[in-house]
Amino acid sequence: MPALGFIFPGVLLALLGLPLLWWLLRATPPRPREMTFPPLKLILDLQARRQTPLHTPWWLLALRLAVAGLAIIAMAGPQLNPPPATTTARGPLLVLIDSGWPAATDWERRIATATALLRSAALAGRPAAFSDFEAARLPQLAPAARVLGAVQALEPVPYAPDHRALLPALRRFLAASPASEVVWIADGTALGHADSFARALAGMTKPHVMVTGHEPRGLAGASNGPDGLSASIIGMPADKGRGVVVARDAKGRQLAKAAFSLSAGSPARATFDLPLELRNEVARIDIAGEASAGAVHLTDGRLARRRVGIVNGEASDVSEPLLSPSYFLRRALAPFAEVRESHGLDPIADLLAQKVTMLVLADVGQTSPGDHAALQAFVRKGGVLVRFAGLNMAGSSDDLLPVRIRTGDRVLGAALSWERPKHIAAPAPQSPLAGLKVGADIVVRRQVLAEPEPGLTARTWVSLKDGTPLVTAARRGNGELILVHVSADPSWSNLPLSAFFVDMLRRFTGLAAASGADATPVNGPPSLQPRLTLDGFGALGLPPATARPIPAKGTTLADATHPPGLYGPQGSDVALNALGKDAQIRPLDFAAAGLRPEHFMLTPPVDLRPLALLAALLMFLADALATLWLAGGLGRRQARQGAAAMVALVALGLTLSLAAPGHGKGISQKDLDSALNTRLAYVITGSAKIDRTSRLGLKALSRELDERTALDPGTPVGLNPASDDLSFYPLLYWPIRAQAPQPSAATVLRIAAYMKHGGTIVFDTRDALYARPGGPPTPQALWLRHLLSGVDVPPLEQVPADHVVTKTFFLINRFVGRYANGATWIEALPPPTGKRVDRPARAGDGVSPLIITSNDLAGAWAMDSNDEPLYPTVPGGDNQREMAFRGGINLVMYTLTGNYKADQVHVHDLLQRLSH
Amino acid sequence: MAAKPAQPGAPHLQLQGEGLALARRLPLLFAAARLVAASVMHGLHGRRRAGNGESFWQFRQHAPGESAQRIDWRRSARDDRLYVREREWEAAQDVWLWVDRSPSMNFSSAKALQSKGDRALVLGFAAAELLVSAGERVGLIDGAPPRAARDMVSRIALAMTHQDQATGAAEWPRAGSLPPRAQALLFTDGLIPAAALCAGLERLAGRGARGHVLLIADPVEESFPFSGQTVLLDTDSPARLRAGEAQDLRASYQARLLEHRAKINATALKLGWSCALHRTDQPAAAALMALAGRMAAMERM
Repeated sequence: MPALGFIFPGVLLALLGLPLLWWLLRATPPRPREMTFPPLKLILDLQARRQTPLHTPWWLLALRLAVAGLAIIAMAGPQLNPPPATTTARGPLLVLIDSGWPAATDWERRIATATALLRSAALAGRPAAFSDFEAARLPQLAPAARVLGAVQALEPVPYAPDHRALLPALRRFLAASPASEVVWIADGTALGHADSFARALAGMTKPHVMVTGHEPRGLAGASNGPDGLSASIIGMPADKGRGVVVARDAKGRQLAKAAFSLSAGSPARATFDLPLELRNEVARIDIAGEASAGAVHLTDGRLARRRVGIVNGEASDVSEPLLSPSYFLRRALAPFAEVRESHGLDPIADLLAQKVTMLVLADVGQTSPGDHAALQAFVRKGGVLVRFAGLNMAGSSDDLLPVRIRTGDRVLGAALSWERPKHIAAPAPQSPLAGLKVGADIVVRRQVLAEPEPGLTARTWVSLKDGTPLVTAARRGNGELILVHVSADPSWSNLPLSAFFVDMLRRFTGLAAASGADATPVNGPPSLQPRLTLDGFGALGLPPATARPIPAKGTTLADATHPPGLYGPQGSDVALNALGKDAQIRPLDFAAAGLRPEHFMLTPPVDLRPLALLAALLMFLADALATLWLAGGLGRRQARQGAAAMVALVALGLTLSLAAPGHGKGISQKDLDSALNTRLAYVITGSAKIDRTSRLGLKALSRELDERTALDPGTPVGLNPASDDLSFYPLLYWPIRAQAPQPSAATVLRIAAYMKHGGTIVFDTRDALYARPGGPPTPQALWLRHLLSGVDVPPLEQVPADHVVTKTFFLINRFVGRYANGATWIEALPPPTGKRVDRPARAGDGVSPLIITSNDLAGAWAMDSNDEPLYPTVPGGDNQREMAFRGGINLVMYTLTGNYKADQVHVHDLLQRLSH
Repeated sequence: MAAKPAQPGAPHLQLQGEGLALARRLPLLFAAARLVAASVMHGLHGRRRAGNGESFWQFRQHAPGESAQRIDWRRSARDDRLYVREREWEAAQDVWLWVDRSPSMNFSSAKALQSKGDRALVLGFAAAELLVSAGERVGLIDGAPPRAARDMVSRIALAMTHQDQATGAAEWPRAGSLPPRAQALLFTDGLIPAAALCAGLERLAGRGARGHVLLIADPVEESFPFSGQTVLLDTDSPARLRAGEAQDLRASYQARLLEHRAKINATALKLGWSCALHRTDQPAAAALMALAGRMAAMERM
């Protein structure tokens, strides 16, 4: 139910004057019409009868009163959904806006509310000030209109600023202007000591507190367990909702989704059902629908990396590499772990220095004292040490084993033995290997035996059918010691050839991650530079100038100088997240602070003044016409003129609204011209400015093409995809105007057909300046999405460096226009085939049916009649304009020549072949 | 209440201007009149009456005592009876025209095809054309004596122009009574007081002349389609009538109009004249045809 409010309700008192107006209007009837009438003499003596009408006609009176009433109402400033804090206060307005990450998801609404408040303040001529709790930003009184601009440029920050920092400045402000009205647009959480701030604020003044109903949720960490990758989601205690978390890789592609449902108090867990190989790819986890830094969990090497070292105790047998244990281990581990081997003098120390999380010692009996100590420390800190038996171990072994081993080995099914080779029983149900399928064909012919001792059964994960332990493990510190009682090569059993071997190693690797081996560099740099940081909306970007390095050791909490993000060099970076492991979102208890929060409106206020004035004006025109008609002023002549004017008006309106030329039969001159001469085309958006830019831009590009290439395109032409035949144009430039109506379904079919039959459309959203990568989509992007939802769109990718479109005429890196920071998307190429990695250019079959850019290409090309650029470029420079033209020429050449340039790299080979 | 002629400005110049305005309209009116006359001519066949004309009318049997010279021997030779050839009666007659050119005749409403004055001139010229071609002598009351000249129509027009320049447009002929056996054709809207009009008619018919009055009316004058607040302006006088609710006047106006016409009609009948009504939203030819019919009927009487 939209509410109606007034900015100046006092003006409505003027409505009381309407009865007076009624009386006045009644007293002055409209002018009579004059008619010539020759037989007047016959009735001239009837004059005594009524001379004036009794009243002005009632409908005319009503019309005039309505005009007057509407004018008064318009002066009173009617607003649909008025901002609730629009009070009659006259003092300065101070707007406090929570800008921490909990406010980011509904940031637009917060800014809209602040905008509405400030707008009404500007209308009322009140000075205003604002603060977003950023430490350096103190409230400064200024005209509300100026504050409005600053507020609209605000962005949320990726942490929770400390509210108390503002208190001194606030106290000073209120002391200077005690009549101030304070409006606090709060995020409703107690983050950043908002509760003590609220109490202090309530003590100082009587603020309006406005909250959205939105309850922020955050990600308080993720862990990579043996059963999968799981994220922990925290929410407000009252939040009992459900949701979805999404795991993405480094390129932002979605890898998996997991549902969660929040319950009071405790964090919810969502587990991703991901194969281990893909788990390594997860670079970030975010909560769907929450665009805030707190709802993003960045993962780093500590989560993803599983470096496994393999040490072979046998003499390195280069003659039979396929029989060496390390070969089988490598093949089994490679799909889901980064396998390291060392051929140095001291491989164990070598691998530990490489910070492996799991170390596999195949048939290593004794280790040097130094290695022994290092291994012990490694396991205590969470590493997993997996040992495989072998001849060396059977001989003698150290104590880094879960069980004591009998010297010597047991041979089953040998020539002098009665026993048959043994099969393996299912893994112990409580062990980490539980549930793994054991092949019936696995037989163990030879093994090392554990000394029977108390607790052996508990330490046994897998045993033979006869109960002999086969895999034993023991926990030491944070890590695990695991012993497999057979060798890692098939000489003792066919276990290394089985699927169970791979599954088992995979579980071990998962254990390594779960046990949390510390992968932080031991002797790396003391501090880590910020590399990529999150903004308040949870989008990764370049770090702000205020970002400072974090210490390499210890835990840092995200704040203004340490925004959440990735720190340290690429490849071994450390993620700093907005929320720590044990973070909580506590709601702010406004009642305790003596405040009463109001919900701010769901829809922005609509100023009804123009509407009321327009209605008044139209009714005034109607009144004028009616008066003329009553006075007989609309005679034959005037009526005809009036009718002509009306027809012209209606026709103009129709032309403006339809603006679609009739779909003529046959071939139009335009089509003929286009068929005879290749020319560039752009889509008419309906905005005169955009269309002019497109026309001038393509004109300039056509000239450049003429000067620099063999192509001499004709005059560019503007097209309406609904009515014009698109098939004559190889390239269609389509600037997106978010206000334009969506094309009809039939038009979308035409566009799809155009793209399917070889046409290329360059969509230009022109929003690179204000689009946030990873942030909420801009209106233009939404428009384009809606348009393309009816079209078969091939998978897209950002133009890779070796794409043929970067080579078709000029060698360029990317496509710039007025803006240089936007990405350009093109149909994804098939992945490069391994044998031709050295090819400089790749191309698919045919030409990409669509290219999407946001850089406003035509804006950079457009030249006025004096050959002066129409618009400046951002960041600017002649070079950028030149690169824009080169990009345009490449695009045109790409659409005209396709993958020709990619094929040209074969010329050398072809010539050679011909010469033989 | 009596209409005073409105004559702002110098009278002489004004009159000249009226004559010029008439002269300017004449060629068009001539053309229209000729068209009307031509369309009516097809419908008229002689005087339908035996007489001393030149064209053959009929054979009839010789009556005893008739002059033998009149026997048509060629016809009589074909059987036993004697026949007499009768010729059509073609008596030249004096017809006096008069066309009202007072300011009220210039009125034309949206529903009319042309103004009353133009319609009256067209009818007058067409009637003159027809009569002259039938051998009658046509003249203009107050202007030109009747002659049987072929160019009588233009002479009449010239006389009208002179009249208008010299004396202004009159509301009624100034002449006294017309000669006996003459026929008068009066084209007027009859919007002068009924008493004056009847007196004028009686004066014209004083010596036994007979004639036809064609009352020309605009459709608006019949229907009085006004409503709401209206100011009605007279054409011949500065008189104006302010009506708050003009529709209230409609009934009384129409009653007055009927009464007015009834008076004129009664006087005309008493004098042996015919009186008819013609509305300018109807074609001129129909009125002319009806007029011709009435003239023929009057001759037969």
